[in-house]
Amino acid sequence: MTERGIDGLAAARLWAATRFPYLASGVFGAAVIPSPGSATVSVDESWRMRADPELTADWTAAQLGSVLIHHVCHLLRSHGERAQAVTTGPEEARAWVRAADAEINDDLVPAGLDLPGQPILPRHLGAEDGLLAEQYFEHVRVREASGRRSGSWLDCGSGADGVPRPGEGPGGLPGWQADLLKRQVAQDVLSYARQAGTVPAGLLRWAEQTLNPKVDWRRLLAAELRRAVAQVAGAVDYSYRRPSRRSAVAGDVVLPALRRPVPEVAVVCDTSGSMNDDLLAMVLAEVEGLLRALGLARQVRVLACDTAVAPAQRVTSARQVQLIGGGGTDMGAGIAAAVALRPRPAVTVVLTDGYTPWPAQAPKGTRVVVGLLGAQAPDAPGWARAVRVDPELPGDGVR
Amino acid sequence: MPPRQSNPAAEALGVAVAARVPVLLWGAPGTGKTSAIRAMAAAMGLPCETVIASIREPSDFAGLPIVVGGEVRFAPPAWARRLAEAGHGLLFLDELSTAPPAVQAALLRVVLERAVGDLTLPDEVAVVAAANPPEQAADGWDLSAPLANRLCHLTWHTDPRAVADGLAGGWAAPVVPALPDGWQAEELLSRGLVAAFLHVRPALACAPPTDAAAAGQGWPSPRTWEMAARLMAAAGAAGSGDEARSALIRGAVGEGAGVEFLAWLVEMDLPDPEEVLADPASFRLPERGDRAYAALAAIAAAVAGNPTEERWTAGWRVLGRSADAAPDVAAVAARVLARCRPDGAALPAEIHLFAPVLRDAGLLQA
Repeated sequence: MTERGIDGLAAARLWAATRFPYLASGVFGAAVIPSPGSATVSVDESWRMRADPELTADWTAAQLGSVLIHHVCHLLRSHGERAQAVTTGPEEARAWVRAADAEINDDLVPAGLDLPGQPILPRHLGAEDGLLAEQYFEHVRVREASGRRSGSWLDCGSGADGVPRPGEGPGGLPGWQADLLKRQVAQDVLSYARQAGTVPAGLLRWAEQTLNPKVDWRRLLAAELRRAVAQVAGAVDYSYRRPSRRSAVAGDVVLPALRRPVPEVAVVCDTSGSMNDDLLAMVLAEVEGLLRALGLARQVRVLACDTAVAPAQRVTSARQVQLIGGGGTDMGAGIAAAVALRPRPAVTVVLTDGYTPWPAQAPKGTRVVVGLLGAQAPDAPGWARAVRVDPELPGDGVR
Repeated sequence: MPPRQSNPAAEALGVAVAARVPVLLWGAPGTGKTSAIRAMAAAMGLPCETVIASIREPSDFAGLPIVVGGEVRFAPPAWARRLAEAGHGLLFLDELSTAPPAVQAALLRVVLERAVGDLTLPDEVAVVAAANPPEQAADGWDLSAPLANRLCHLTWHTDPRAVADGLAGGWAAPVVPALPDGWQAEELLSRGLVAAFLHVRPALACAPPTDAAAAGQGWPSPRTWEMAARLMAAAGAAGSGDEARSALIRGAVGEGAGVEFLAWLVEMDLPDPEEVLADPASFRLPERGDRAYAALAAIAAAVAGNPTEERWTAGWRVLGRSADAAPDVAAVAARVLARCRPDGAALPAEIHLFAPVLRDAGLLQA
């Protein structure tokens, strides 16, 4: 195929596919192109690797195979794309690559990755194992701000830092095929884990997240709130209270006009002993921001509730909410108190950890959106729209 | 740089318009969706009627009721008349996601059946919509699931380089895909593919979204699968790139179902292991490494599942034919075969082909 191939490439791939069978599709899916004089092995986002035959000639099959695995992991974990979200400029891109290396190496080196040189591990960055590259990146930045270098490794290429290199023209694997290949590897990882059970935990997490991406709870909460408000408010209803502006052309027919009632919103906060205050404050702030975006900030009343209900507080900011209470919980009492408010809220948002009795039926005259705080929260009743708020889940920039 | 349509979304948009499948562009405000659609209409020679959905009332789409001789008629607005008289054209519904739910409900018939009040627009009218993601439009509503299900959703990305080029040297004219006459014949084939896929994954035939965030996107239903088949045939006939084809399919039936269908199509291309074992000489190794691996691994697994002497020898012959082009891939499969040697089977000659690479990889400890 090429004039001078890379010696030992076949053996290196074979080593990689045997040692890490669950990554075999990825290893064989990447094209390896000889690139004399580059003095490194790099990868671009179209699954092309460029290797300097001079450099790799000294490596054992295991070492070259490990570098291939390492680069495939850069691609699987979308390091190039993620780099663009957090880095500015080439200096930061270099710091990012160290963080990205740590994310790969932290569980693959213990699993038998045999990289040449000194691979970067989380402890070199002063961090513990099992974090995301974004978190390692913070560690690298802190260290570099104090003038400490944290190891060095060859240029991993644009597949690791998102900075395009000269000579990376079109070609390679198109984006959608790369996506399919990633899913294939993720499926291989999961099925291997089911049969043999020895897949590094970080890689397993990646595979699960790739095949069943969890949606950010902020998006879900926003969509549920918008939907609840839209169904009540909006221009949903015609009203004859005011005639249509088109009555002039309609002769004797009285046309209705569109009316947009402004819905009232009540937020019922669970303040029982089992609640996590920080999480509650975070979600409350989120709810407030969403309502503000919908133009409803003034219509919000907040009720603190355990078994009894504190009087409603009309608030303009989440910081003003006083959470009083503790002890047992009954959200039914909170919802009943919300419905009793005048004017009656059209939308009731309940923020709870789920350890509460619920009314058997939906309350009349209000739509209920439940925010379930914490990954372990029991389910909400079927009549309410529920959103699970899991603080462990990715917020910004992490996928 | 080759003069290729660099934006797969624009290419996909052209195919959808040419196939007359209702399409919706999602993108941030100010990214040129509107101008791209107008330029597309101009390039195709279609009169373009722009209707901003968010400032309209339901009666603009459902028809304004007027009393004529004791009965109520639903009079269509002037833009609908103009399109009907022209006989063809492009109806562009802008700002779809800021249209209040009642207007969205009125749009249901317009989008799918092209009915505006008592008037039905000609089949040659293409419907295109544009919307900002609800997170980006302050007063945005999520699209209702029935409306979302009538459209092919395309995501409009902006390429910074294309913006720079366009600002400096003028915007590139859109490339209009040409559908040859009789392209609909290909639809039968793509429908067959979709049908075969749905036999394997019946759960995906109709899967309405369960959470509110997903409701505004495409989701699989018999209607959208039909749409996907039509778009697939059109993309094939127009000779558009794989990326545009994949965007159209995912846009019609939603991301999850679309990706599964695409993955299934790729797998369909792999040779059937049993056929290969029956006739090893017919085997052709796929060019891409991961596909070659998938093909050989499937063949090795088929032999391991039922290791008769005949199948085992046939498996080795296949590997022997592949050893030259992809010694590493074939060696992985060879290790599987070596472990399931049937009693009394003679060692095949091909086994020696793999000794060097296995030794180099440190896998042959004598």
